[in-house]
Amino acid sequence: MSRESTTPPPGYDPAREHMLDFKVDEQLAQLVVSERKNFILTTIDEVFNWARLSSLWPVTFGLACCAIEMMAASATRYDIDRFGAGAFRATPRQADLMIVSGTVTAKMATRLKLIYDQMPEPKWVVAMGSCAIGGGPYFKFGYHVVKGVDFLVPVDVYIPGCPPRPEVLLDGLMRLQDKIRGRKGKFRPPKWVQDYAQKIPYRR
Amino acid sequence: MATDDRTPAAAGGWSETEDLPGLRSELLEINMGPQHPATHGVLRLLVKTDGEIVYEVKPYIGYLHRCAEKIAEGCDYKQWTVYTDRFDYLAPMNCNFAYVTAVERFLDFPVPERAQYIRVVCAELQRIASHLIALGTFGLDMGAWTPLLYCFREREEILNLFERLCGGRMLYNYMCVGGVRFDLPEKWREDVLEFVRWFEKNKIDDYNTLLSYNKIFIERTADVGVISVEDAHAYGCTGPVLRGSGIQWDCRRNDPYAVYSHFEFDIPYGTGEVGTPGDCWDRYMVRVREMAESCKIIRQALRGLPEGPILADEIKRVLRVPAGSCYTRTESAKGELGHFIIADGGTKPFRNKVRSPSYCNLSVIEKIGRGLMVSDLVATVGSLDIVLGEIDR
Amino acid sequence: MQDRDIYELLAGKLEDAELAWREAGPEAYALVPAARIHEAAIFLREDPRLSFDLLMCLSGIDWDGYDESGKGKSVDILGYNPDGTPETSDRVAAGDLGVAYHLYSYRHDHKFAMQVRLARDNATVPTVSDVWPTADWHEREAWDLLGIRFAGHHDLQRILLDEEWVGHPLRKDYQMPDRWTEVPLAGQPYSKNPFKQDNAPPAGGDDSGEG
Repeated sequence: MSRESTTPPPGYDPAREHMLDFKVDEQLAQLVVSERKNFILTTIDEVFNWARLSSLWPVTFGLACCAIEMMAASATRYDIDRFGAGAFRATPRQADLMIVSGTVTAKMATRLKLIYDQMPEPKWVVAMGSCAIGGGPYFKFGYHVVKGVDFLVPVDVYIPGCPPRPEVLLDGLMRLQDKIRGRKGKFRPPKWVQDYAQKIPYRR
Repeated sequence: MATDDRTPAAAGGWSETEDLPGLRSELLEINMGPQHPATHGVLRLLVKTDGEIVYEVKPYIGYLHRCAEKIAEGCDYKQWTVYTDRFDYLAPMNCNFAYVTAVERFLDFPVPERAQYIRVVCAELQRIASHLIALGTFGLDMGAWTPLLYCFREREEILNLFERLCGGRMLYNYMCVGGVRFDLPEKWREDVLEFVRWFEKNKIDDYNTLLSYNKIFIERTADVGVISVEDAHAYGCTGPVLRGSGIQWDCRRNDPYAVYSHFEFDIPYGTGEVGTPGDCWDRYMVRVREMAESCKIIRQALRGLPEGPILADEIKRVLRVPAGSCYTRTESAKGELGHFIIADGGTKPFRNKVRSPSYCNLSVIEKIGRGLMVSDLVATVGSLDIVLGEIDR
Repeated sequence: MQDRDIYELLAGKLEDAELAWREAGPEAYALVPAARIHEAAIFLREDPRLSFDLLMCLSGIDWDGYDESGKGKSVDILGYNPDGTPETSDRVAAGDLGVAYHLYSYRHDHKFAMQVRLARDNATVPTVSDVWPTADWHEREAWDLLGIRFAGHHDLQRILLDEEWVGHPLRKDYQMPDRWTEVPLAGQPYSKNPFKQDNAPPAGGDDSGEG
């Protein structure tokens, strides 16, 4: 979510919010209205967001144990297909969600970055499991383990657990859907993430 | 590498077409993985092919190397059981079992009988769950979606039972050095017996009808990826891979540990029923039949379950293991899982080397991958039933 | 056949080698000099009374800092601090390296264990991958993680770590790396709150390609 959408427009005084009366306060009314898009663009945003969140197609990026819980989430008991996310694409070029399920190792990091870059915008990343969040149980002596996938790609939703139950994965998916529902316009990762992530090279 | 070697003709395959002289062709080096839907985990296979026939396949592993052996030197014996779950994450009870059996070889007091029986029941239930995934994903590699969903449905029942037992759905950390952590909950024994009865009566026939004797499946897997007995011994293949080649050898029978010597069960092995002995179908069928044998063991174990403590009294909060070194092996769902532990008398192992079955099973693909078609290579890798958590540790 | 008898047979075959038999602990093993291990391997596999056709496990060992008295005072290994930075130490390891072989025979149903001790600065041992092809990958792993060279191996490359990795991690004096060619391996401190807005990029992200 971009930083700008969470800061209020200048001139906004929260103490006066209950007294907002646009007939009286013309200037504030102008400010508030000019920050909002018009009705048509807002509805188009809603429609696009609804379409995107209802058909999030993940790329098959199961690395370790969490991948099995991801498979269990796509099996019949915790069906992920009812959220529209059941079409796991093998190629990242047709996917818009990367569920990093499992430990990311140093050898795999460059390939992960390659897969992430091959996904077209808009794309989202879900860090599933404690290894993807912060290195997991391999924090203290893991010389080959990247301590969290957010060192490599920008993460939207973190799902804790070792491994998280399939219901928790579905809950994380729903939170991601909420995040997408509140999107306004284009999504770009923050500048420092783009700069930092660009330094990680590809490997043949 | 000279260009000449890269032509299919030079590698022993077909030569240039006669009607289009001057048309040169080269071998194609493609990557299968590490991100691939059909390699069971992050495995990279560098395949030299002319498009259909594989001339050389070289596996590259290490994409999931999680430094578990280094961690073993840094944390206590009792703490490290958590990491054993993450090796073969489809059969964590078996991995737990192997490690605690290996550590208990050093200790001079016995594990209570009740704990041993519970361990056997959990290990066999886990073997069924692991083989279910093996069959399901093997069918998925052949393009069959339905067996996978059926297998996951049965696996959910087993996971329910394990969750009632120890709280964990997939990774348990249930067995500890000296026994098990929790006693059986109410009615667990009856529910397991009920599950075993239901599974044995209905489900194995379901899989046989759906997949095993399916004509397309047999076409895809019979006579494919034959592993001879010499190759199996030479490359250290164990478990269903070895039994599929015709050797009736099982660590639970031939080198018994825990209380396996109290039970009667058969060892299924491959006979070349629909093809050559040692092909993919034989390995698959060994797994199906092993599930039935596991049901037998569970029934015998639960009927003979003794009362008593579940944790040895001599286990203190701080466990010091006397010095020495030993290699202990057990039969995991994938094969022979062994731990070579060097102890120095302290609370942490000095060296803990894990001999994982999938590591040795996968090394045979370099030898038998030659001459297969690419889709047969997928079938063979699926029939070896590898887990990358175990290979890379 | 009992493993003591197997040891006697082996000692008889390699007459002028200094074999030793260690019995402390749950498993007894034979200590074989490194130069004769290939001969011993061939004998163990080919002799019809022994016929060890399965090499169950080949493990590399770093004996540095091992507490011989059995009181558990071996040297600790280095890890990462709670704030994610690697622990450092100036200690230089000086102990031996070793390789352990565990064999099994399907025909006669007996086991045998052998070990080899190598000096740290000259850790070379002849390969047994021509005797038991399964040793191929096990020896590559021992080279990768411990730096033990196997003379005569057809392709001694790193197997678990990347080919360009520096260092042998399972050695007792190995210091955890902070990064590996632009991939960060140090962690964030435990107390860092991921929900705070002022999440600065992890330290070390501003280098320009030193590797």
